[in-house]
Amino acid sequence: MSTKKSASHQPDSIRNDNPKKGIEWLARHNGWLVLVSIIVVLAAWALIVSITQMPAFLLPSPEGVWNKFTITLQDGTLLTNALVTLYEVLIGLILGSVVAMGLGYLLAKSRLMEKLLSPYLVASQAIPVVAIAPLLVIWFGPGIFSKILICSLTVFFPVLVNTMIGFRAVPENLRDLMRSLRATRWQKLRLLEIPAALPVLFGGLRIGATLSVIGAVVGEFVGSDRGLGFLINVGRGQFDTALVFVAVFTLILMALILYGAAMLAEKRSTRWKAERH
Amino acid sequence: MRIFRCALIAVMVFTLSACAAGKPSGPKNTATLPATAVPSATNTIIPTEKPLLKVNLPVGYIPNVQFAPLYVGIEKGFYREAGLDVTIDYSMENDNAVLLATGELQFAILSGEQVLLGRSQGLPLVYTLAWYQQYPVGIIAKTSAGINSVADLKGKKIGLPGLFGASYIGAMALLYSGGLSDKDVTLDSIGFNQVEMLLADREDAVVVYIANEPAQLESMGEKISVLKVSDAVQMVGNGLVTNEKTVQEKPELVRAMTMATLNAIQYTIDHPDEAYEISKAYVPNLAAADQVVQKQVLLNSIELWKSGKPGFSEPKAWENMRTVMKTMGLLTSAVDVSACFTNEFITE
Repeated sequence: MSTKKSASHQPDSIRNDNPKKGIEWLARHNGWLVLVSIIVVLAAWALIVSITQMPAFLLPSPEGVWNKFTITLQDGTLLTNALVTLYEVLIGLILGSVVAMGLGYLLAKSRLMEKLLSPYLVASQAIPVVAIAPLLVIWFGPGIFSKILICSLTVFFPVLVNTMIGFRAVPENLRDLMRSLRATRWQKLRLLEIPAALPVLFGGLRIGATLSVIGAVVGEFVGSDRGLGFLINVGRGQFDTALVFVAVFTLILMALILYGAAMLAEKRSTRWKAERH
Repeated sequence: MRIFRCALIAVMVFTLSACAAGKPSGPKNTATLPATAVPSATNTIIPTEKPLLKVNLPVGYIPNVQFAPLYVGIEKGFYREAGLDVTIDYSMENDNAVLLATGELQFAILSGEQVLLGRSQGLPLVYTLAWYQQYPVGIIAKTSAGINSVADLKGKKIGLPGLFGASYIGAMALLYSGGLSDKDVTLDSIGFNQVEMLLADREDAVVVYIANEPAQLESMGEKISVLKVSDAVQMVGNGLVTNEKTVQEKPELVRAMTMATLNAIQYTIDHPDEAYEISKAYVPNLAAADQVVQKQVLLNSIELWKSGKPGFSEPKAWENMRTVMKTMGLLTSAVDVSACFTNEFITE
C-alpha cells in the first residue's frame, strides 16, 4: 500500500501551514531581503540612466554618486559637515525632548494647565518651521545655536503629545495600589508612572529622532556655512546633483541610526514588558 | 445612507469639475512663432491674427520693482507685438536653470555665474541679452565701521545669503581685487536677512544687491559705505537666457523675446515714473510700501542697466567671471566662454 499521498489528499491543517512557513522564513531572513531590494533598486536606477541617457545634472548614475561619495569622504568634506549636522540633531533632540517631557508631564497631571496651554501649543505647530527659521537666525545669530533651536522646535510637539498620552495611560488600579501602599509622589513617578509610560514615550522619541534631522536641515537651508543642508545647497547651486544625493543619503543613514538607537534604548528599558509576555 | 450617497456624488462632481478647470488652457512652450510675424524697421514684430505664443519666464526671486522692465514689457505690449504672451514665474533660480537645460522652459532670467556653472556641468545654456550692464552686487557697511576700501574688510565679519550664487561670487571677486581671500575675513551665511543683521551689528558688513538694501538703510537714516563689485572688476549680471536647442531650432523666437525684452528695458530707462506705476499691479503691497524707497530702488537699478551698447554681452566680463570662479574652485571642467553667450539676436 502506498504511503505517499497527493497534495489534494493532504489534510487542510498541513496545506494551510505552507503560507505561514513562508512568512516565518521571510521574517527570519528580512535582513537579506532588504539587501536584495537595495540591489534591485540600484540596478533599476543604473538601467534607467543608461537607457534614457539622462544628464548627470538631472539624475546622476549610482556610479557617479559613489564617486562623489568617495571624493567627499577622502577630502573630509562629508565627515566634517555630517558631524556638524549630527551635533545639531543630537543636542536639538535632547533639548526638545527634555522640555517636551517636562511640560508633557505637567499637562498630563493638570487638566487646567492642558486647557490653558493646548491652544498655544497646537497653534505653534501650525506655523511652518521654514517660516520662522529666518526669524530665529536674526534673533539668535547665524551660528549653530539657531539650528539647534530649530531642531528642538521640530522635535517638541510629537514628544510632548506622546508624553501626555503615556502618563495618562497609567492604569488606575495600579495608581490605587500605590496609594494604598502610601507611596510618595517621587516613588509613584519612579516606580509606576515612568515605567508604565516608557513604551509610549519611546514612540514619541522615535518620531522625534527622525524629525530632528529634518529640523537641522531646514535650519541649515536658511543660513549656514556648514552641515549636510549646506552641502545640499552647494550641490544645488553648482548643479552638482551627485553631491545632493550623497548628502541626502547621509541624512537618511543618520535618521535610520537615530531611529534604531531609540528602538534599542526602548528594548533595554522595557525589558520587563518582554519578560511578562 | 441617502445623505451619504448625495454627499459622495457632490464630491465626485466637484472633483471632476476641478480636474477639467485645472487643465492648461494654452499649448506648452514648444510652439513656434506665428509664421506671419515679420520684423519691422523699428525692431518690433508686425501684429498678426494668430494666437500668441505662451512663454513662462521665471525670474528667480520674489515680485520686486527691480523687475519693472518685464512688467512694462507685458503692459505696454512689447511682448504682444512680438507674438508672445509672457507670464512671469517667481520660482528659484537654480531650479530654473535645470528646467531650462532640459527644455521644460525656453527662457529664464539668470545671473551670469549660473550660466558658467551650468555649462561646466553640461547644462546647454546660452545668454542672449545682458540686462544688467553692471554687476549688481556690493558689500555695504555702516560708515561708523570705517570700511571704505576692500583692504578695510580684512578681519571683519561679512554676512551674505549663502556660500553660493551671485552674492558669494561677487563678494569673492571684490576680495580678490583687493588682494584678500576668504581666509582673511569671516563669511557668515545669514539668509536674506542682511539689513536686519547689519542694523543689529551682528555683522560688520553684508553682501547685497546694491540697488536694493542701501536705499532701505538710507531711508532709515543709516549712513552706509558701499563697495561695488563693478568698480573693481567687470562681471556678468542678470540677463535673458535660453538653451542651445531653442537657439538652433527657433532663432526667430529667441530674437523676438530678446528684442522685446530689450525694448522694454529701454522704455523703463526712459520712463521710470510710468514703469513704477505699472509695477504696482505686479508687486504685491508696492502701493502701500515706502514710495520714496521703492522709487529709489528702481532708479538705482536703472543706473545698472544703462550702457552705450544696451543688451550686449562683453567677452571680457565673461573672462573675468571665469577667472574668479576658477580661483574659487567652482568650475570643475573647462568652460568655453564664447559658447556661454551670443549677441547675434540683438539688432542695433
